Amino acid sequence: MERETIIEVKNMHKAFGPTIALKDVNITFKKGEIRGLIGENGSGKSTVTSIIAGMQHATSGEMFYKGKAWKPHSMVEAQKAGISMILQEANTISHVTVAQNIFAGREKEFSKCGVISMRKMNKAADELLQKFGVGHIKASAPIDIYNFEDRKLIEIVRCVSDETEVLVVDETTTALSHEGRKILYKLIHKLSEEDNKCVIFISHDMDEILEHCDVLTVLRDGDIVGELSGEEMHASDAVKKIRYLMVGREIGEKYYREDYDTSHSDEVALELEDISIGNIKHFNLKLHKGEIIGMGGLSGCGMHEIGRVCYGLEKLAGGRVLRNGVEIKTPLQAIESGIGYISKNRDSEALILNASIKENIVLPSLTHLSHGTFINPKDEAKMANNEIEKFRIKCNNSRQWVSTLSGGNKQKVSFAKWMAKDSDVIIMDCPTRGVDIGVKQSMYSLIEYLKEQGKAILMISEELSELIGMADKMVIMKDFEVTKEFMRSPELKQTDIIEYMI
Amino acid sequence: MKEKKSFGKWLKEHKMDIAAYGGLVICIIIFSIVPPMFGESIWTAEKLANLMSNVIVLALLSVGAVFVYSLGNMDISVGGQVRVYALLMVLFANMTGSLLPGILISLLIAVVVAIINGAAGQLLRIHSIIPSLVFMMVLGGISSIAYNKIGSRNISITGMDLGFFKSPIAMVVVLVAEVVVISYLFYFTKFGKNARAIGANPIAAEQSGINLLKYKVICYVIFGITVVIASMFKMGYTGAASDSTGTGFEMDVMVALILGGMPLSGGMRSKVSCAIVGSFTYSILAIGLPLIGVPTNTTFFVKALVFIAVVLITCRKKDGVLPR
Repeated sequence: MERETIIEVKNMHKAFGPTIALKDVNITFKKGEIRGLIGENGSGKSTVTSIIAGMQHATSGEMFYKGKAWKPHSMVEAQKAGISMILQEANTISHVTVAQNIFAGREKEFSKCGVISMRKMNKAADELLQKFGVGHIKASAPIDIYNFEDRKLIEIVRCVSDETEVLVVDETTTALSHEGRKILYKLIHKLSEEDNKCVIFISHDMDEILEHCDVLTVLRDGDIVGELSGEEMHASDAVKKIRYLMVGREIGEKYYREDYDTSHSDEVALELEDISIGNIKHFNLKLHKGEIIGMGGLSGCGMHEIGRVCYGLEKLAGGRVLRNGVEIKTPLQAIESGIGYISKNRDSEALILNASIKENIVLPSLTHLSHGTFINPKDEAKMANNEIEKFRIKCNNSRQWVSTLSGGNKQKVSFAKWMAKDSDVIIMDCPTRGVDIGVKQSMYSLIEYLKEQGKAILMISEELSELIGMADKMVIMKDFEVTKEFMRSPELKQTDIIEYMI
Repeated sequence: MKEKKSFGKWLKEHKMDIAAYGGLVICIIIFSIVPPMFGESIWTAEKLANLMSNVIVLALLSVGAVFVYSLGNMDISVGGQVRVYALLMVLFANMTGSLLPGILISLLIAVVVAIINGAAGQLLRIHSIIPSLVFMMVLGGISSIAYNKIGSRNISITGMDLGFFKSPIAMVVVLVAEVVVISYLFYFTKFGKNARAIGANPIAAEQSGINLLKYKVICYVIFGITVVIASMFKMGYTGAASDSTGTGFEMDVMVALILGGMPLSGGMRSKVSCAIVGSFTYSILAIGLPLIGVPTNTTFFVKALVFIAVVLITCRKKDGVLPR
C-alpha cells in the first residue's frame, strides 16, 4: 500500500551563526507511519522537527504540509494546524491545575459570557486522562503534586487531540519509566495504525526505535545519511549498521568494560551507615577506592535519593554519611572532602545553562584557584581549556554558553567540573541520560580510567545494560529497599535482574 | 561579506550594551546640542559640578547594588537607610565635632541590616524584597520619630568644614576607588563569581559547593557599606539631613541599573559597568531636561518614556515557544 504524503521537506538549510545545523535536508513523512529519527547529539534531528513544529525557522528551503506550502510562525500555530510536539524538557505550567494545563490556550471552549466553567473543564480533562490510560492523574489537582513523569504524561494528553495529524515525540521516553513508556507506545501505535496519523519519533534508545518504528532515518552532521525500511531494521546486523551510519566510522566493539576483575582497594572511600530518610529505612553501603558500584531499579525506588544523601543534599532522619571518618552534612563538606556529584537533572541542577563553559567548570574549584582572594582569569581559562581538550567538548571557545551546547557536550561539561576538581569519589546519577553513542562510549572509557586511578564511583542508572557493563557490584532496589546484590560476571543477564526490580 | 556577518553577530551579542551605552551617548549629544538653543549649556563648570553631585550618590549606590542585583535579589530599604545614616552622621557630628562616630555607627547598623536582609530571604524562603520592605518601613518610622523629637524637619551640621564632599575631584576619586574595589571583588574573587552563579541557578550553585546563605549575606554587606559611603556624600554635599533625604533612592537605583542594561534576574550578564552607565544616563536626564524647557513636573513622563524605550530594546524578543 502506498502511503499518502503529509509533510514534505525540501532543501532545508539551517545555520546558527557560523554553525550549520542542517544542510540541504530532504525528507518526506507519510500518513500512518511511525518514523524514527536517530543521530548523535547535534546531528540535526531535533532541528528538523522543531522547524516543522514552528519552534524555529529554517534559514532556507521549503516545506509542504497536506500539499500546501507550510511556514508556521509559532508552535501554537502549528498545533492548531495539527502538528504537535512533545519535548525532552518539562513543558507544563506550574501552580495551576492539571485541567488548566491540558486546555491551556483553549479555555474558550468552556467559557460562557467570559466565565470559564472549571467544572466542565475538569470533567473534560478527566475524560481525556481516562482515555489515555492515565486515570490516576486527577484533573482538578494542582499540577505541582505530580512528579516529572506524570507531568510528561499530562503534556502528552495536552498535545494529542482529535485534530492532531502529526505528533513529534522528541526524546520523551528518557523521562518515563516502564509504565509511562508503555502508555506512550500504545498511543503512538494507535495514532499510526488506527487513526492513520504520522508519528515522528526521536530517541537515543536503539532498542526502542527498532521495536516501534516502521521506518528509520539516520542523520549525521545535519545531513541525512541513510534510511532503513522495516525489513532492514529487523536484519540481524541492523544495530551495527545504524551505529556505523550515525558515527560515520566503525566505533569498534569496545563499548563497556571488557574485564571482569572486580578487585579494589580495601580502603573505604565512602560509607553510608544506617541511613533513614523518607521511606528508606536503615540503608547501608560501603564504597571502596577503585570500586564501581552500580545502583539500579525503577525511577521511584529510592536510588536517586541515596545519591543525594551521599552528597549531603538531604536532611537525614537517621544514620550518617562518612568519608575518611568525617560526617558529610552539606554539599560544601562533600566537595571539600573530595566528593563530586552529577545530578540526573542536568539542565536544572548539574549545570548553570546561562553561563559559559568556563564558569561552569571552574565553579567548584574557585577556592582552590584563589590566591588570597584573587582569582587569576588565566588560571580559570587554563583549567577550562584543559578540560575542553581532554573531553573534546565541541564548542567555539570556553566563553560559549552551556545552553548552546548539545546534550552530550553539556554532560561532558558536568563531568569536567569534577575532573577539574580532581574528586576522589564521584556519584553519578543517570550519567548517560539523553546522550548519544559516541559520547556514551567516551564516558564509559572515562569511568573505567577513573577506576584504574583508584577513584570510587557510585553509578546510579535506570539502564540495566550499562550497569551490567560497567559495575563491579550491582545493588538493586525496589520500593526503597535493597532486594538483591549482584557481582560483576559475564553470565549476568538483564532478565536475571529485572525480577528484583519490579 | 564575512566581516559584515561577524559584525551582525557582534551586534546581536552586545545588544544590551549597545542599548545602554547608546542611550547614554544619545543623551549626551542631545543635551550638548539642544540647551544652547535655549541659551544654556551643560558644559559649564557649574553644571558639571551639579551633574557630578547628582551622579555621585546614585552611582555609589548602584555600583554596590550590583552585588545584590546579580543574585537576582532586590533591596528597597536603600532610601530609608540613607535617611537614617544621614541623620546619625549630622547628630553625632554636632555632638562630638567629628564625622567619624556617626560613620562608624552607620556602618554597624548597615552591616546588621544587611545580614538580616540577606539571611531572612534565604532562611525563611521568602522573596528577597520582603525583608527589605520591612526595613524600609522600620527605618522610615525611626527617622520620623527622630525628626519629631528634634522638632524640625531638617537638621544641619554646624561649625565643620565639609568642603571635601563638595569637591567634584573628591567625588570622582571616591567613585573611581569604589568602582575599582567593587570590580575587583565582582570579577576577580569568589564573592562576585559566586554571586553571579547564585543568580543564574541557585540549585546548581549549591551543588557546586556554594554556601547560599553565606554568599548572599556577603553580597548584602558589600552593598550596605556602599550605602554608608553614598550617605556620606548625600549628607556632606548640603551639610544637612532631612526627613525626605533619600526618598525614592531605591527606585532610582533600580531604574539606573535597568537603564545600564542590568538583567533584573541577575546571573552571568550582570556587570559593574551597568551601574555606572545607568547612573550617568539617569542623572543627565535629570539635569538636562529642565535645561531644554521641560517643566520639572513633566520630567517624570520623559524619564518614563526613556525607560520604556530601553526596556523594549533590551528585552528578549518572544520566541514562538509554548509556555514552559
